[in-house]
Amino acid sequence: MDMQFGVMLRGLFDWDDDMKVRFNELMEQARLIDKLGYDCITKGSHFSTYPHQEMTQIPFLCRIMSEAPNVRLNAGIVLLALHNPMEVADYFATMDLMSGGRMIFGCALGYREVEYKAFGVEKGTGVTRFEENLEAVRRLWTDEKVSMKGTTFELEEARISVPLQQDPHPPIWIGANADVAIRRAARLGDCWYLNPHQKVETLLRQMDLYREELENYNKSFPKELPIRREVFCAPTHDEAVELAAPYIKGMYDAYKTWGQDKAMPAEDRDITQEYAELARDRFIVGDPDEVAEEYVRYNKELGVNHIIMSVQGVGMPQGQVLDTLSLVAEEVMPKVRAA
Amino acid sequence: MGKIEFGYMTRSQYTRSEDMPARFEELLQQVRLLNALGYDSFAKGNHYSSDPFYEFQQLPLLCRLMADAPDMRLIAGIVLLALHKPLEIAEYFATMDVMSGGNLVFGAALGYRDVEYKAFNIKKGTGVKRFEQNLEAIQRLWTEERVNMKGDYFELDNASVSMPCVQKPHPPIWIGANADVAVDRAARIGDAWYISAHHRKDTLCRQVEFYKRCLEKYKKPLPAEWPLRREVYISESREAAIEAVRPYLGLKYSTYHAWGQSEPMPQGDTLGLEFDDLLQNRFIFGNADQVSEEIIDYCKLLGTNNFITSCQWPGMPHSMVMENIEMFAKDVMPKVRQGL
Repeated sequence: MDMQFGVMLRGLFDWDDDMKVRFNELMEQARLIDKLGYDCITKGSHFSTYPHQEMTQIPFLCRIMSEAPNVRLNAGIVLLALHNPMEVADYFATMDLMSGGRMIFGCALGYREVEYKAFGVEKGTGVTRFEENLEAVRRLWTDEKVSMKGTTFELEEARISVPLQQDPHPPIWIGANADVAIRRAARLGDCWYLNPHQKVETLLRQMDLYREELENYNKSFPKELPIRREVFCAPTHDEAVELAAPYIKGMYDAYKTWGQDKAMPAEDRDITQEYAELARDRFIVGDPDEVAEEYVRYNKELGVNHIIMSVQGVGMPQGQVLDTLSLVAEEVMPKVRAA
Repeated sequence: MGKIEFGYMTRSQYTRSEDMPARFEELLQQVRLLNALGYDSFAKGNHYSSDPFYEFQQLPLLCRLMADAPDMRLIAGIVLLALHKPLEIAEYFATMDVMSGGNLVFGAALGYRDVEYKAFNIKKGTGVKRFEQNLEAIQRLWTEERVNMKGDYFELDNASVSMPCVQKPHPPIWIGANADVAVDRAARIGDAWYISAHHRKDTLCRQVEFYKRCLEKYKKPLPAEWPLRREVYISESREAAIEAVRPYLGLKYSTYHAWGQSEPMPQGDTLGLEFDDLLQNRFIFGNADQVSEEIIDYCKLLGTNNFITSCQWPGMPHSMVMENIEMFAKDVMPKVRQGL
């Protein structure tokens, strides 16, 4: 599979920001991403995002389908333990149909207490729910009628609302940070969706684990292996570094208060270190040549062939985002393809 | 001329042998036509496991169609609120309100189908409590920056929405209600009672009086909006209209009855009738003049000022739908406005 270039439209904004204006900017980003020949747009999912504002995943992905008619649309990721499988299966069936078979279904456990409580999911039951939900979603997508009794749902001759466009269903990517979650991704997913926070050396160790586990289940290595990274690309190295510093710091402070670090392996846990230490092997920062080299290195070292970049940190102006999208499409993508 | 809004409900249910990508393209054309013809809103209902039909899911569909209907209000009519978690619904619909520029109507009702209640792990008998707690939580999430509230099935622990709504204080809340006890609830907790297509006219006359008494009991003013949904089909005569829709609408209502929709109906009414008995006093069929007069009659009897028509039932060809969308806009809407 050729290298795929994706963009994550995180779109995290300050609480007092005007979201109607920000939404129009995100639509402009989506149109540009589609026009520039990127392969995929990704939107993540969080609930209760105070002190930040964020478009919710499913409504947003549905709305941009018409603005971005060519790219694949990645729900990366759905917090599957929180939701009901009938609802998720049905939403994504309709989305796959409306998009002409362009959906990717990413899912993961989630980790934030405020979300678990709000959805009435007791801590400790998340894994069971996640696994049962995924099985039910998959069966609703592929079986004519489904009867299945889970811990928190009962499907009684239930049927999907519209037929899936992709055969047998949209690819299932599983987001995983901790080793145990990576083993689960190998067992349950079409691929492991490598996360943006971990260092390359950690990922290399975990990749061995992933391969080992795939072998245990007699599964072949996935044709598509995606990773998400924060990418800061500017015409010169110094400009890129300058661009990156404040956003990376601000973002990781926010993650820290949300508890993301608790879901990460022990050696990788202190994510509020100084920027320089934080950036190394964790973010892609540089001029187009350097960024292209990093893409190629990720491909060679980790075997990833779909790199999803997030470019918009909190407070980054729209012009800066559009410039980065253009620069990467025009100067990084051809270099990576050639390599 | 009387002030009235006209909406269109895209039920978007199809038989399971149909080519769904083709139906979706047709649905886009229908919505573009509605927008061009000056309809004020479009509505979409909510069901899971719609056997024996295919059906687009409400929330994804409304979000996608928004792009092709920039001038219309979007009515989630209705959301099966007892099934869902309040934070999820509050956030999804806040995003939709922002994306639509403040054009969202939030409809909510209880639901009644076993297959849905089971799939969402809702024990029968807990639906009302869930519905009311969910609605309270959603209203609070829409109007307060941080919310602390412990429901029976959720806990908001300093939770927030992901963005505030554009409409202040929040999108209008329309409550769907069939039985009297539900109409009472609609008066107590809703901004409007969204009257379904199922009730007979004589039942509605009685229930609207009941609704007004309930509003008085709760010391609430008369709502600004009085929405009514009806099945409508225009042809050269009433007989021709009935014959044209018989195969499609007949299937739709026999399925409603099989799903159990007759159970929450007001006493003395049922959907388990032969088609010709079913349509009496319930559906609006005829030529444009007859249809207009019937709608005017409803408006005068019930105080309706937001009339939502639906004219697409499973299996009906796209051309019939387009024709009726156009005839309704050109031949009925002006007459109704004039007659009020």
